Amino acid sequence: MLSNAQLQKIYLLSDTILYREATVFMRKLVQEQGCDPLPTSQVAGLLSIAEATRYDELHRFVLHQRDRNWPPSKRDIKTFYAALEEVLSLMQRKRLKDEFRLMPDIQGRSESEARQELDELMARLAREFIQHLVAENGVLAARKAEERMKQRMNRR
Amino acid sequence: MNPEMKIIREVNIQAENFYNEAVKLGDHAAYALKAQHRSQMTNLENIAESAFKATDILDYIKKQTARFSYWRQPFPEDKDANTGFGERLKHYLEHRLQTTLENICGPKRLDIGNTTDEDKQERRRIYLLLIRQFVRQMVVEYEYQVSLGSASPGGKKREG
Repeated sequence: MLSNAQLQKIYLLSDTILYREATVFMRKLVQEQGCDPLPTSQVAGLLSIAEATRYDELHRFVLHQRDRNWPPSKRDIKTFYAALEEVLSLMQRKRLKDEFRLMPDIQGRSESEARQELDELMARLAREFIQHLVAENGVLAARKAEERMKQRMNRR
Repeated sequence: MNPEMKIIREVNIQAENFYNEAVKLGDHAAYALKAQHRSQMTNLENIAESAFKATDILDYIKKQTARFSYWRQPFPEDKDANTGFGERLKHYLEHRLQTTLENICGPKRLDIGNTTDEDKQERRRIYLLLIRQFVRQMVVEYEYQVSLGSASPGGKKREG
């Protein structure tokens, strides 16, 4: 189980780093790369998995969604999961220890204990990141829907 | 004065300073949400009071803005008559209150640094206190306006 100090640190990271990065992540996909925002069904699935499962299961889900053979009309979903997988992998491989300093070196800790702690930390960090990107996704989706409606009205 | 008292004093001073802005947003909320969606304001206040993170409040505002068109409704009385209520509130909390936070944490006021985790956590806590004050003031104004039934632009008469 994570310590109170680790949880406080995750809250700090969420407020100061992850929120901004998740917002930029979504805007880059939608506004720069021209992707459609993630559809509601995908948002619901991703959120429920992020909230309910262990990190290795969440990661497996992200990989599965990335590697699915999506029809051309849904290629943006694949792009989204490929980008998300990169963010999460970098977080797990490097940032969690080097930048976020969430894994102190504790002597005498077994490998399985360390792996379990890493899994718990990543689950919390991923959950925070996903919560923020889902919120931004909603705003972008609403904006896009309004733009489409305006265009339709103008055409009439 | 002990450090906690200093923080409370600074937050209260800022609450006086941003009162007019909170009133303007409360008026906007009354116009957009009307009495019919009172629970939206109650929920926002509850989340602001209980959140561990400022970003939980910002995410909530984003979610409601995405879900409900009335959160996206602009206020004709506002200078920027194209910005909806949710976007305007989020912008105020995210940018203007952050600037307020920077000012009161500066060396001439609370003198709280921004390098150690301890200092950053303290800033985070003060930021939440500022958001709570702002949301409380805004919700009071919203309640006042909807109770008068004057949730339309130009419908209210304020003295002073």
